[in-house]
Amino acid sequence: GRRPSSPMLEKDIRGAIPDCFSHVPMAKRIPTSQAHKDVHPAVLAVGQQMATFALNDSISRLKATLLAFRKVIESYETPKGNSLSRHFVPHVLNPQIEYLTECRPMCFAMGNAIRLLKGKVNKFDIDTAEDEAKDGLLEWIDFLIKERITLAEYAIARNAAQSINEGDTILTYSRHRLVEKTLLEAKRDGKSFDVTVIDDPFERNGQELAKTLRQAGIPVLYSPNLGGLRPKVAAASNVFLGGEAIFANGSLHAPSGTADVAMAAMNAGVKVIVLCETINFDRDRVSVDSLTYNEIDPERNTADCFRLLFDNTHDKYITGVITEFESGGGNSPAQAI
Amino acid sequence: MAPSQAAHVPTLDGLIKSFNNRTLESSIEALIFLLKRRQVKGDECAKATAHILRQVVAKSKWTDVDQLLSRIQSAGSRLVRAAPLEPVIGNVVRRVLGLIRDEASEDRNADDLASEAASDIQSLTPSTHPPQRPGPAPIRPSPSVISTGLQVSKSMFNLLSVADPGDSPMTGASTPMSQAQPASVHALRSEVMDGIEEILDEINQADDQIAGFADIQIHPGDYVLAYQPSRTVERFLVKAASKRRFTVIIASLLNPDGAAEAPYATLRKKLNAAGVDTINLASNGLMAYIPRVNKVIFSAKAVYQNGGLLVDSGSCIAAQAAHEYLKPVIALCPVYKFCPEDPSDEVSRGELGNPSSYVSYANGPAVEALDVENTVTDYIPPELIDVYLTNLGPQTRHHLASILADHYKTEDIGFSLQLGEP
Repeated sequence: GRRPSSPMLEKDIRGAIPDCFSHVPMAKRIPTSQAHKDVHPAVLAVGQQMATFALNDSISRLKATLLAFRKVIESYETPKGNSLSRHFVPHVLNPQIEYLTECRPMCFAMGNAIRLLKGKVNKFDIDTAEDEAKDGLLEWIDFLIKERITLAEYAIARNAAQSINEGDTILTYSRHRLVEKTLLEAKRDGKSFDVTVIDDPFERNGQELAKTLRQAGIPVLYSPNLGGLRPKVAAASNVFLGGEAIFANGSLHAPSGTADVAMAAMNAGVKVIVLCETINFDRDRVSVDSLTYNEIDPERNTADCFRLLFDNTHDKYITGVITEFESGGGNSPAQAI
Repeated sequence: MAPSQAAHVPTLDGLIKSFNNRTLESSIEALIFLLKRRQVKGDECAKATAHILRQVVAKSKWTDVDQLLSRIQSAGSRLVRAAPLEPVIGNVVRRVLGLIRDEASEDRNADDLASEAASDIQSLTPSTHPPQRPGPAPIRPSPSVISTGLQVSKSMFNLLSVADPGDSPMTGASTPMSQAQPASVHALRSEVMDGIEEILDEINQADDQIAGFADIQIHPGDYVLAYQPSRTVERFLVKAASKRRFTVIIASLLNPDGAAEAPYATLRKKLNAAGVDTINLASNGLMAYIPRVNKVIFSAKAVYQNGGLLVDSGSCIAAQAAHEYLKPVIALCPVYKFCPEDPSDEVSRGELGNPSSYVSYANGPAVEALDVENTVTDYIPPELIDVYLTNLGPQTRHHLASILADHYKTEDIGFSLQLGEP
């Protein structure tokens, strides 16, 4: 769990960042009173939750954003002499997006969804009746949530669970929703297997996963940090990792430490399987190291400690990616987006 | 552990001072107690072992070389058994055994050359020993193949004679002999004591000697990732800071959250004062930072014959990440940490530490049902290490054999193998 950080002036916070990491963005808390007047209350709330990491992983952030945008659309009224398709994006949607980005750099899934949403709006004819357009957008958002989040999660867990064999030892790092779903699904299928959970001692999310799995009757070996990683990885049959995003060059953007685990596994000849929804695929960006796209942990950014939230796993350390549509290499073209 | 206990932890220096007022047995017992409780660990073990073996030479009763060797072996094996995951103990014991063999054979040669009375030689050499041919005084660096062969066969005899001390004709006569000790035993004692003093000096000076190579390894503008900097690494960095401007990125698995003092505060203060920037990472994974790093530095707990290292857990992550980005991995390892043996399975699996700082067992059955493994040591395979920086200078893994040959006698290499029998 995260400790609530003491409110500090933004300048002071950025001031502590070492020069060599000064290009990396960081989430910050903006008092609601300082937010732009056009920001919708629902978006304000989501922004606060993102800045405090109450909403953390890409999919929960995406879902919350879409639901807030739904509210924005519902309460939208086209001013006289304007049309929704010309007015909504620049005057209403963009201020929401700016605010959210200020609270915390957008995740790649949010970027994808917003691009899709804007494309949808632009497609409306200038004469489309407002109600028709609004209903169309709301319906589309519901569809996106259902297809790309809810069903995707189900399909990925299904596919991944089938790849678990009787007697396997599955190793995973920290806690990822899809990995957790997959393991519980495989257990429900009646398979017996062991899980090794490697945790990040600065986050300790893996401990929750370990407890959940243990309660489901899965034998769990819990390692609080990356110490002794090589022998643990070598004893595993598969490594399952979740990710925040996959770039056009096939590299995985995931919580810091993921790359170390993947590399150790690949070096030990153990398969590394990444579970990721296609909405997280970014086909416009290429990242070859962890300092291209990253975020500074605002909780641990003082003179005494520094921490990056993500790292970049090169696609040569990934055996396969399981998405809701297909399974393949990280850089094989994923359907849609 | 309750905090009140920490205040009563006896320090190693205090213990060493108390050696003079204790009997030998109580000194050994006291050290074994500390070793078992891990209150003496890492580099301190080497120092402690040398001190206690010095006591063994000074205080125990022995009248010939073989008896002395067997006293050292039995005290040494007790220490090794007390801390089986501290290989430096065995190393120091082997060094002292080698030292005694050297001194003894020097004496013999001197005796032979001076054609002294044969009875003196008799008292120094085991009766079963084949007659020693006069030859050039052996110097410590690697003996020739032929003499190695001879020494091996001698060690076989030693093993047998050690197994049953009753074999030695001198044992029964120890009391009268101590009153009329041959001058050469007396000389041997002081020579061995001097030799152990030299080993202690070597241990004490190793860090400074290694730091002497700092300006060769660290260049202006470098970003140096120091993994869990030990005293050796600290001295190295501070020395480098006196000559170079660079940045030190400190990584460790020690959790800074909740600690009263930020980790490595003293080191960072020293470095900052010298104009060297420091960044303290609060991170598990290190791949994220490696693109920025020029080299990785950590110290070894032990270096094995194959070039593999025993290190603090997590160092392996640092080495692995650096290796991936082709950044040099520099392991600081004083010569006394070189073990003439291969890593055991136990070493490659890693030593387990107390998990309770990570997991709260107050959380009830859900946590109790978990197998929690907090690994505190890592094994790093030799292919991940680029430079072994010893107090004798930088080495690559291809030349480690010569260091081992220079410092250990072939007959002592199997020392730890004898530990099986109590």
